Amino acid sequence: MKLDELTKGLFKYNPIFYLLLGLCPLLAVSTRVDNALGMSLAVLFVLVGSNVIISLLRQWIPPEVRIPCFIVVIASFVTIVDLFMYGYAPDLHERLGIYVPLIVVNCIILGRAEAFASKKSVSHSLLDGIGMGIGFMLGIVAIASVREVLSTGAMTIFGYTVIPGLTQTPAMVMLLPPGAFFTIAIIMALINYTTIRRARRR
Amino acid sequence: MMESVKRIVRISIPLILICIVSGATLTVSNDLTKERIAGVEQRKVNESLSMIFPGASFNKTGDYYTALMNGEEIGYAFIAQGKGYSGTIKTMVGMYQNGTIDGIYVISQLETPGLGTRIAEPDFTNQFSGKRIEDIRLRQDGGLIDSITGATISSRAITEIVRTRAEVVVNETR
Repeated sequence: MKLDELTKGLFKYNPIFYLLLGLCPLLAVSTRVDNALGMSLAVLFVLVGSNVIISLLRQWIPPEVRIPCFIVVIASFVTIVDLFMYGYAPDLHERLGIYVPLIVVNCIILGRAEAFASKKSVSHSLLDGIGMGIGFMLGIVAIASVREVLSTGAMTIFGYTVIPGLTQTPAMVMLLPPGAFFTIAIIMALINYTTIRRARRR
Repeated sequence: MMESVKRIVRISIPLILICIVSGATLTVSNDLTKERIAGVEQRKVNESLSMIFPGASFNKTGDYYTALMNGEEIGYAFIAQGKGYSGTIKTMVGMYQNGTIDGIYVISQLETPGLGTRIAEPDFTNQFSGKRIEDIRLRQDGGLIDSITGATISSRAITEIVRTRAEVVVNETR
């Protein structure tokens, strides 16, 4: 089934909770929901673009230099995102800072290029890119929601208050890297718990 | 011999072509965003000018700005930039006519998040206010600026960038 290529990235093989890829930007950017959304849109664009181009060129790229070829394609997409984000969303660009150019070395993107797009057809790679990109978005936004609410007591997305201030003494630790690890661990434990229970029932 | 040359050509041509196409695409993207980005940077410069000398008006003279308050010169503002720990640090510096620093405001930097990025925070930048140019050195280098723990390279970089540029501007304005 072709649609599987899209949905597998969302839950079953979620890049964050199942494949455990792309954790470094995840730790750094998941402090606020709007940063997480901006970051994951950039990743989605780069992932879909590089998957499609690499799949198009897959028979033509010599295996000996495939990694340099992949990196040039990925880095080009990242530079395009970087330029347009600087021009059209300067505040977001400033908050994400070094993590926009660092998408080049995001292992989800190189991982999908190497493991999937370089072997599968263009349409499959397109669906795979969309699925994995949205899967990354779901993961990072979930983590960012928990961290933002616990570390600030509120949630503000692009200037709109979604959750008003709940407490005057929020848990600062959630803003720091340990907070990201706690959140990832707890969500992953819940996912594994439900998967194991479901498997046993069958 | 011939075989290995052939092999090298066979594997390099696709990579070269990909690089050419990539270069062309990026040239186009750069052209498309150049004006927007220039606008964003100009806005940042204007913002930083008003942070340094609030309420003043500015005249651009050469590569520095003369700050005027009610028609009277109160000081100079100029951009100092140079290499940080990673990437370029660009900062606005305000200086009074007698050569003391009024304040600095970091326009852009790409230092290590959480460590080097603290050079842009008031706790660090406020130290520059009221210092004479020759004291704009880290304490361990004989100056009056305390470096940030864990980010000595970034602290030293911005301190040196500010002082070097201020020395040049002082000579120009004399």
